[in-house]
Amino acid sequence: MTTDISHGLSATSASVSSKVNAGEITVSNVSKSYGAGLFTKEVIKDCSFTIECNKLTVMIGPSGCGKSTLIRLLAGFEKPTTGDIKLGGKPITGPGRDRLVVFQESALFPWMTTYENIMYGPRARGEDTQENRDQADYLLEKVGLTAFRKKYPPQLSGGMQRRAELARAMINNPEVMILDEPFRGLDCMSKELMWEYYAGLYEESRRTNFFVTTDIDEAIFLADRLLIMSNVPGQVRATIEVDLPRPRRLAFVFDSERANAVKMEALSLLHEEAMKSFTGGSKAAADFVEAYSRRSSKAEAG
Amino acid sequence: MDQLVTLLKRAMPFQMVPDDTLKAIAGLAKYESHAQGDVIYHIGDYADDIYIVSSGSVQHTLGIGTQATHLDKTMRSGDVFGWAAVLENQRSRLAKTVCLERTELIRINGEDLINLFKASPALGDVVMSRFATMINKEFTLPEAVAAQVPHFTQAQATMATMATGLTLTMFRVSQWLKSPKPYLMLIGFSILLGIWYFTVEVWKLPRFEDMPGLTVVVKELFSKDPTYGLSLYTPEYYQHVWVSLRRIGIAFFLATILGVPLGLFLGWSKTFREYVFPVFETLRPIPILAWVPLAILMFSGSETPVIYLTFLASFFATALNTMLGVETIDESYSRAASCLGASKWQTFREVIVPGAMPFIFTGLQISIGVAWFSLVAGEMVSGQFGLGYVINTSYTMVRYPTIVIGMVTLGAVGYTTSAMVRMAGDYMMQWRVRELALGGR
Repeated sequence: MTTDISHGLSATSASVSSKVNAGEITVSNVSKSYGAGLFTKEVIKDCSFTIECNKLTVMIGPSGCGKSTLIRLLAGFEKPTTGDIKLGGKPITGPGRDRLVVFQESALFPWMTTYENIMYGPRARGEDTQENRDQADYLLEKVGLTAFRKKYPPQLSGGMQRRAELARAMINNPEVMILDEPFRGLDCMSKELMWEYYAGLYEESRRTNFFVTTDIDEAIFLADRLLIMSNVPGQVRATIEVDLPRPRRLAFVFDSERANAVKMEALSLLHEEAMKSFTGGSKAAADFVEAYSRRSSKAEAG
Repeated sequence: MDQLVTLLKRAMPFQMVPDDTLKAIAGLAKYESHAQGDVIYHIGDYADDIYIVSSGSVQHTLGIGTQATHLDKTMRSGDVFGWAAVLENQRSRLAKTVCLERTELIRINGEDLINLFKASPALGDVVMSRFATMINKEFTLPEAVAAQVPHFTQAQATMATMATGLTLTMFRVSQWLKSPKPYLMLIGFSILLGIWYFTVEVWKLPRFEDMPGLTVVVKELFSKDPTYGLSLYTPEYYQHVWVSLRRIGIAFFLATILGVPLGLFLGWSKTFREYVFPVFETLRPIPILAWVPLAILMFSGSETPVIYLTFLASFFATALNTMLGVETIDESYSRAASCLGASKWQTFREVIVPGAMPFIFTGLQISIGVAWFSLVAGEMVSGQFGLGYVINTSYTMVRYPTIVIGMVTLGAVGYTTSAMVRMAGDYMMQWRVRELALGGR
């Protein structure tokens, strides 16, 4: 135990001594467990990684590997059991304006119009200025919702709601945007449309973004850096730099050799992880293992 | 010139336009020719002119953000592009256009075209609606984009934007009259009245013969000189209705202004709830009639005890439903609000209150119903006026038809008040009305 702590300390001091950027999040030796005594379940164990400044970092991993727990830690809703998380060198103590989280489920207020929803953040902070109103108009146009500004969320499609939510987060200029599977549950076509909208927004702002997903195509299309999670207890298994050129277009990205290479690399890493938990008795991993083996046998036949 | 008119006639938006107007449009047109590979405009360029292909072909590629199903389209002779120039709120090009071969085009300034149609608004609307159809169907863009074509006839434009609570209700009424519902309702009433008429007056069934018959009640109700002293023509009738309504009004108002905040705080604050809810839940199941003696002891006169009893029933219904409303609000709303920088008080005002609104209004509808219920109970016991009093005294003084007049009046007035509460709710919750309308309700 003592060695663990000293290890944590040295890692921290190392990261502090290196260049610290404003929007950079460093997660060092973080563990999180729930329950007590015999019933303790360790969800994240000794997890360390960096969310680099002004980059889009995508985290991908098998379902139930502690991604959502990690998001709650980053958002400051919960505290890690051991280890620490720092934003720009300062430890994260609670929820704050500097980190904005877009959650899986849509949380647009149904009693406000699209425009009012987007303006909610500035208005809540008493910043209902012309500048912000212009910014809201600009974002509405950017996400293709200008014609829907006076509509209420139930009148929008699922994809439009997700876009409105992205705009509602973006207008606040957070240092870091954290997105927890924001496009989950959308159909394939709308999902691809969302990727392009989101990539467009990101490419324009180039702010620090942390995006969590289970969809490999989504991950590769969006990421500057790809973090691959291991199974429970969660750890970052590998980091892949996705050096595809920006701005990215769908057809273009998925025809490129490099994207396919990254995808194969990521899939094989995910497969290893799935195998581990499969042999460990997890039912959740079975589908992935089967799909992967079929895919590779098809590739051999072809 | 004639050649130009023939070309314009082949262009989809202008197909319905008479020749003399086409000539006027042709007067605005300019000819130009391009070589293969020429870019006519890029995405984001200022949109001033619309183009019609005379000969050759043009590749038309929409930008990603336009949500078109098909981005690419090849334009040939007679096809129209560059329609961004006639859209309202859209002054930049949505597509890139490149000539695929040697191409001849005519271009027409969008604003000039719109100004031309200002003289004949009806024709202008036809042309613009064809533009809208073309944008939607040929270019596969969402209707929202197509809807940006200008409207010339003012009346239509204002009608479309006036989707207020009142017009919505009017629309519903007209829809309702077209459906079978009102006629089924009439049949339902006829069955009830028929049973009443036949059992009492025609068959004179045992135990029914003493009851006031349908014809007797109707005659009494509409009589200028009623046998038992109460009809639509006597001022006493309205006095009774007014007294009851006033009691309901005061009690319902008090119940709402006290019950809604209590419910909101019960749902919102765990600590407050620990203190208050057990007391609340012990008092709530006590029937209103059980409160009568205490109410008479507590309050002097005949007016205040009745109001108190009416208030009590309403208050419990309103507070309980409001509390349930707060509990059903999805936690993600509060979380989103705090993430966006809202304080606790702001969250309460802007998330908890509007979020609980649908339940509050359900509660108010129940509350107005139980208010009438306990009002009549109260009026039967004490009080010198009011519909409950009418029913009770008519019974003791053997004025049977008047009992039924009192009952029917209660039904009608009660229904009206609860419809008013519902309308107030619809008016205050436009978002909810639309949400329900989308669900087909």
